[in-house]
Amino acid sequence: MARTLAMFTDTSLCIGCRACQVACKQWNELGLEVPEWTGGYQNHAHFTDKTYRLVRFVEAPGAKPNGDLAWLLMSDVCKHCAQAGCLDACPTGAIYRTEFGTVNINQDVCNGCRYCVASCPFGVVSFNEQTGTAKKCTFCNDRIHNGLGPACAKACPTDSIQFGFRDELVAKANKRVETLKGMGFKDAQLYGADSGGFLGGLNAFFLLLAKPATYNLPDNPKLPQRNVVVDSLLSIGSAVLVGLGAMLAFRERGKGGR
Amino acid sequence: MLKAPGWEMSIVWYFFLGGIAGGAYFTAAIADNFGSLRDRSVARVGYLLSLPLVAICGVLLIADLGVPARFMNMILHFKFWDPMSIGAWAVGVFGGFTFVSSVLSFTSSDSLASLRRKISLVGMLFGFFLAGYTGVLLSNSAMPFWGDSRLMGALFLASGASTGMAAVALIMFLSGGSAGEGWHKIEVADRFSMIVEVIVLGVFLALLGSAARPITSGHFGPLFWGGLVGAGLILPLVLNFFGGRVRALGAVSAALVLMGGFILRYVVVMSIQG
Repeated sequence: MARTLAMFTDTSLCIGCRACQVACKQWNELGLEVPEWTGGYQNHAHFTDKTYRLVRFVEAPGAKPNGDLAWLLMSDVCKHCAQAGCLDACPTGAIYRTEFGTVNINQDVCNGCRYCVASCPFGVVSFNEQTGTAKKCTFCNDRIHNGLGPACAKACPTDSIQFGFRDELVAKANKRVETLKGMGFKDAQLYGADSGGFLGGLNAFFLLLAKPATYNLPDNPKLPQRNVVVDSLLSIGSAVLVGLGAMLAFRERGKGGR
Repeated sequence: MLKAPGWEMSIVWYFFLGGIAGGAYFTAAIADNFGSLRDRSVARVGYLLSLPLVAICGVLLIADLGVPARFMNMILHFKFWDPMSIGAWAVGVFGGFTFVSSVLSFTSSDSLASLRRKISLVGMLFGFFLAGYTGVLLSNSAMPFWGDSRLMGALFLASGASTGMAAVALIMFLSGGSAGEGWHKIEVADRFSMIVEVIVLGVFLALLGSAARPITSGHFGPLFWGGLVGAGLILPLVLNFFGGRVRALGAVSAALVLMGGFILRYVVVMSIQG
């Protein structure tokens, strides 16, 4: 495997221009959608089969260093988890990991069973009714295989979205957290940078200015498949009970068989 | 923020009919292997019921795909830890067992009957699998309630057993085959399954606590408590005790169990996908 590539989204630099969202739509030829009223400036409300990059507009009372309302902006995207629930769920092998560590859906193989949609801890993977397949950010698979960064990172005017080798970006991100803490952003923290942390680390990781829950991100996302052995054993236990019940009901008393 | 997969009525029917198919088949296999010659009517009804049901299951499963023509992509790939992957395989393999068992259920030859019994002991494992894996599939997703429940598979399996046995009993009643002792035995077996189901459901709810709210309260609450727990489990369990003497009560009990089994799949699948 080639050296792992990553996207680092530093939300402290995001100005909410949505250039990333537009660049993503244009490069990936994602169609129009009916907007949804979100009560604020955010549009769209959720990731969809036609929205892979989404700038979240979060109003957080008291989150500024001086206690004022913070206007938090976060350009959200598929996390390309090192332990990816969608990838484990996919029964066709359509979802695969590239040599760069990113997670991609082969649109020619996906048969639209939608188990990946239910297995994404971040609500990223979406079903497209027209193609009948699951859709999500490709990490601009075509671009990264031709020496270009993802369209969103390329378009970002403030370097809020940075693309590069994961180890280098993580080192950079750690320094940036220290700088921000020195400036008084006491809740500044990385989300998904630690490859020993949840889901084995995220290949699209973030710098947040508040707790993950403020951005509607799970604090400690877990791999959906972590209980498959326990659940299966409990089911086998249930099978043994009903099976024994049926054997007791049907056994030939005192004759030892048919 | 999480996204529902949009599995709706065809998946509810698939879970329900798959449970019956699996339950009816393993009941038949047990009756065939451990019962008397007189229990062969039970075994035959079970085998013959599971065959068309599993065929319908296959159709429902394929039709619900975004690209049904690519169904084979699931079969060309195998992931032993993935319920969706082994599930697709198991439906196909189990379908083969139900076909062979159904054909052999008409034999009068002793050696073929012996072969049928041996085959059904293996097929029975796939029957159990089909009845239970759908619950494990839901409980290994990122969705709230589904993903929080450790006993979803165990519950679906017990429900598959009770509905499978109820379906066999109801067919025996309607076709006039309820006179023999096979009727009494299937009623007793169904009673065991219902008791297991009640216990598993109780532990399931206790372990989930507030995570079970999508089905225990709100829009789906009345259907869950009234339709499943009351009319679909407790009432038929009580009626079942009288089913040995008053056969009509046994038949009513079986019909209620089937209704309860459907409601279980319906509330579990639909409640969190609003």
